[in-house]
Amino acid sequence: MAVRTRGRDVSPGVEALLDARVVSVGVWLFLAADLFFFAGWWFAFFYLRALNNNQAWMIQGLVRPNRGFGTVVLILAVLTALAYFAASRTPGRGSVFRLLAPVSLVLGIAAVLYQGYGMWHLGFGLTDGAYPSVFSGLTGSWLVQLAGAVAWLATVVLQAGARGDTLARPHSATSFGWILLFLAAVGIINYFLLYFVA
Amino acid sequence: MVTAEHVSERRLSIPNNPITGVLLAIPAYFAGLWLGTLFGLNDDANTGIILGYTFATVAFLIGVGFLNYPLERLFGWRVSPISDPEENRGIGRFFRLSLDHKVIGMQYLVTILIMLLFGGIGAMLIRSSLLSPDSSITPPGQYIMLIGLHSVMMIFITSAVIVGPFGNYLVPLMIGARRMAFPRLEALSFWLVPPAAVILAAAAFWGGFPTGWTGYPPLSEQAGQGMDSYIVGFALIGLALIVSGINMLATIITLRAPGMTWTRLPIFVWGIFTTSILGMLAAPVLAVALVQLAMDRTVQTSFFLSANGGSNYLWQNLFWFFGHPEVYIFILPAFGIIMEIVPHFARKPLWGYRTGVVGLFGVALLSWFVWQHHLFVSGIAPVLRPFYMLSTELISIPTGIIFLVTLGTLWRARVWFTVPMLFCMGFLFNFLIGGISGVYLSDVPTDVTLHGSYFSMAHFHYTIMGGEIFALMAACYYWLPKMTGKMLSATIGRVHFWWMFIAFNSTFFPLFIAGILNMPRRVSSYDPALQGLNTWVTISAYFLFGSMILFAGNVIYSLFFSARPALANPWHARSLEWQLPTPVPAYNFERVPMIVGGPYDYGVPNARPVADLGGLVGVTGGG
Repeated sequence: MAVRTRGRDVSPGVEALLDARVVSVGVWLFLAADLFFFAGWWFAFFYLRALNNNQAWMIQGLVRPNRGFGTVVLILAVLTALAYFAASRTPGRGSVFRLLAPVSLVLGIAAVLYQGYGMWHLGFGLTDGAYPSVFSGLTGSWLVQLAGAVAWLATVVLQAGARGDTLARPHSATSFGWILLFLAAVGIINYFLLYFVA
Repeated sequence: MVTAEHVSERRLSIPNNPITGVLLAIPAYFAGLWLGTLFGLNDDANTGIILGYTFATVAFLIGVGFLNYPLERLFGWRVSPISDPEENRGIGRFFRLSLDHKVIGMQYLVTILIMLLFGGIGAMLIRSSLLSPDSSITPPGQYIMLIGLHSVMMIFITSAVIVGPFGNYLVPLMIGARRMAFPRLEALSFWLVPPAAVILAAAAFWGGFPTGWTGYPPLSEQAGQGMDSYIVGFALIGLALIVSGINMLATIITLRAPGMTWTRLPIFVWGIFTTSILGMLAAPVLAVALVQLAMDRTVQTSFFLSANGGSNYLWQNLFWFFGHPEVYIFILPAFGIIMEIVPHFARKPLWGYRTGVVGLFGVALLSWFVWQHHLFVSGIAPVLRPFYMLSTELISIPTGIIFLVTLGTLWRARVWFTVPMLFCMGFLFNFLIGGISGVYLSDVPTDVTLHGSYFSMAHFHYTIMGGEIFALMAACYYWLPKMTGKMLSATIGRVHFWWMFIAFNSTFFPLFIAGILNMPRRVSSYDPALQGLNTWVTISAYFLFGSMILFAGNVIYSLFFSARPALANPWHARSLEWQLPTPVPAYNFERVPMIVGGPYDYGVPNARPVADLGGLVGVTGGG
């Protein structure tokens, strides 16, 4: 679905530059909104932890989620973001991009599947206090966003052919890298909160 | 890999329109219901209903055509023809996915006005119930359901009633752009609204929800399946706010025409800009609260259950962190409309333009620091009360600045009292009362006394209906000639204004008195001594509803019967949207306009025309 950006008196080069700026600004605005989304979850974490209502933030005998499992998911997510970020900044978008972007996609799919599997095997019930609630909500929200980003990453990889959209609009693909990096950063914060601070 | 050739070769003939959307949504709802019941815990089918609504919404959006672009990127499938303004002519474009901001603006306007009708009918039912002081007309359970449906429907409407129709239609025209930054997101923000409204209305079939628009737990956790409609409907509106905010901000930041500097930006665009910041940042926090509530009701988490380590104050904090900026999401675009229209009819430059912009930003900024005043009566730590009282009172300063800018513009002006101008005057009168009563309520002792009474209810109706809806009416009479190509009847418009203004004040001012006399809100019975006052209010409310019917009649009469064509610039206004022909061409500007003057330089000696449009139409000078 083509959307004409500008009028007939604007050259394609100018239009591409404008397109790049629009997407870049849009991505940063999206990240600002998403930051508030995760800030809401972090607020819930600290608020319920500080209140510890009925001594039920983390009830006695609660089996904590496996830290090693979380570490693997985090490493996969960070590698996904770094691989794509490096690929999207390769001058000329040649073979390096075509190599690294699919690698990033595979890593991303692995992170999503691994975290999804982890969500089905939490080791505690969701009714076992506030910490399990926050863990499942925060991790689940992060997982849903990561899955969405990986789905979009799949379209970027599929469009990376000779006449694909990824090469026609390289700035859009570059801006998308910030979203993956942001999710990786959120993953790091969540990891420390849920596995160490809690 | 998908190439351009592949894209054009593969085309599936699935018609994308709302009917396809509904046909897909119905089985999707039942699929979600079945799946939820299969996996759901002992949760009274809440999982199934929430999944059903979610699946139905996604299926509806797919039917309308939102999956086409991702499919095209993934597999090279093109499911329907391109929706391009130049390819889309005729009435049919209003009934399908369009990427033209003008079409989306009109889609928003009609949809929101229809929703307003239903919200208004809800208000009439509420007022009819209060003709009797003893709940004999409407039992308490049904009464609270009416309150919930009316309040949430009106919140949905007022969140989008200005930004949706007028923001989408006018912002590109006012900044000299040919389109919005993200037309698909723009369309998505609209197409999320009808499912949200339908899902909310579906709550009535489940017995409604007893919490009003605030959805406080633990009541919302214990409520029946109608609460699921609240959760999903509100989430969809929140999503619409986010995508609309991102789109508006990106458009204003990146697509301004050459010469459209920040200090030449029309003040209405500043109103949309500040509103969009609030919507984009506040709605995600609401989303978090709604996800938590949905999880508590479905997978039995305990975010809001004290016994299990949760806290209902968590909801109150998250909800009002969204909820109070939401109030300014209603009113900031209304401020923008008033400050936009007044200079044109005062034929004077906007007095203190930069101060007005600072006022808008001041309101937007302070709105983040006041939310806990909603918790004064629910147990906020006493040590926090003075801060939130002070911050709430502080917000009256930038609001006062906006009033000052408007009044300064009117000072010694030879005002042209057109219908839009009358509604601006009505706004100033009503919002002054609404604003001042708000200062009273920000004071802790007063709030503790009056929070649950009709005083509070009268206050927010003065700001929202007396403020935002009067501004909406001003905007309709001012800009509909450009949007529809037809002038609305000024004679009917004047009758409409006076009728609405008198009926509105006759309805809501007595409710301040009822509140001071301790009439509680959200309760269907009251002291019989207040029956006379309530009967007066109810009859006034019927008249108020009648004034809205008159407005609808005026629109229908003017568009379809008198059909008086509108000139390109019937108000002789300087701002850019009025320099375009009517109807506005598909891509707005044949050439990228060069902005060379400000939009409010009325009476300024040697003022330059506002823009060089390459001879498209005449450009109004400074006189």
